[in-house]
Amino acid sequence: MRDIFQDLFNKVFGFFRQAEKEENAKETAVNRLRVVLMQDRTNLTPELLEKMRGELIELLSKYVEMDKDALELNFEQEGNQMALMLSIPVLRAKDEDEIEAENSEDSEEAEEKSEEESSDAESSESTEDAESSAEDNQDEESETEESNTNSKDKSK
Amino acid sequence: MSGRVIVITSGKGGVGKTTTSANIGTALARAGKKVVLIDTDLGLRNLDLLLGLENRIVYTIVDVVEERCKLRQALVKDKKNPNLCLLAAAQTRDKSAITQEQLKDICEELKKDYDFILVDCPAGIEQGFQNAIAGATEAIVVTTPEMSAVRDADRIIGLLEAKEEIQSYKLLLNRVRPNLIKSNDMMSVEDVVEILSADLIGIIPEDTGIITSTNKGDPIVNDDSSLAGKAYNNVARRIMGEDVPFLNLEESRGVLSKVKKFFSGLIGKEK
Repeated sequence: MRDIFQDLFNKVFGFFRQAEKEENAKETAVNRLRVVLMQDRTNLTPELLEKMRGELIELLSKYVEMDKDALELNFEQEGNQMALMLSIPVLRAKDEDEIEAENSEDSEEAEEKSEEESSDAESSESTEDAESSAEDNQDEESETEESNTNSKDKSK
Repeated sequence: MSGRVIVITSGKGGVGKTTTSANIGTALARAGKKVVLIDTDLGLRNLDLLLGLENRIVYTIVDVVEERCKLRQALVKDKKNPNLCLLAAAQTRDKSAITQEQLKDICEELKKDYDFILVDCPAGIEQGFQNAIAGATEAIVVTTPEMSAVRDADRIIGLLEAKEEIQSYKLLLNRVRPNLIKSNDMMSVEDVVEILSADLIGIIPEDTGIITSTNKGDPIVNDDSSLAGKAYNNVARRIMGEDVPFLNLEESRGVLSKVKKFFSGLIGKEK
């Protein structure tokens, strides 16, 4: 009985000590500095990064089906070099017919929709993508169509 | 003779640019090199105080630029070391009193007669900084193991890299506190070097002796018993091309720590 308590105590105590070790002042400083220096060095703000992420999703979903929420876009430092790392969890690549079919559908849809869809398309692109991912489950194609028409609207 | 022009800069204020300039300059002069220290912090000059020369200044760099005196007349000789002299900043003028071109000309002129021209840069990245780096081909970036100082050093390194004339820059880590590093409360030398990915030219320990030496107007390199003085001397030797290993700062030198070491040694033996 005593052994069990002692074992438990050691485990709990050990857990807290480990947690303490994980975040010391030095490591916090190093981690915070890394992030802030990446922003300083590239002049890229978090807002711009988010916008870029949204547009990349839009472009890439023309060609592949992917897990949009798990897409990662981050800076990584390797020695002297700064790299923009894009990690895309691909579910399935679309075949040529699909891509073409979508493109042609788009042009038809664009004509129909162009009157309905007005100015808000441009500003709320990325949030729209995130929101529409819920609808995706019901009707996957509609989402990609939507984002494609958005890009058409933008180019006009 | 064609001397080397080295700018000592940091971005952030208060990390020890002027102390570093005074000490490296003095150490180089002690090693027999002919050295000029230029204070470019117009309006906020301090290098004269650190060298104890504040009462000997007649002409300043602005007087040279505005042709009220010859360059040679404005050079103030050090009290102890005839190899060292100071071109002081004007205290009553601001950064716009001299241009990059003018500072470059002064450096070119001094190169003929001196081995080293050390330019003490003001804090910031504005005109004062641009002036200071104008004539230099090498740079020493002074920083401390603190976030704000490292961030500013990173910015300065970016600006130095963009400047073609600067052929090389080195990092000098000042006010290092081995005890805080040991307890993981301060970034280590390795952390800073890795983050900035720059070559290191010196590690200077925090030393209360710096305060007294500043008060006396006598650079700490003149005190042979000081660890910071020794570290600055090593920086000077590295600048001259010697391969000097970095000091081991882990060994504390206080009397108390020696006593502690003695006792812990005894205890160790008993086991």
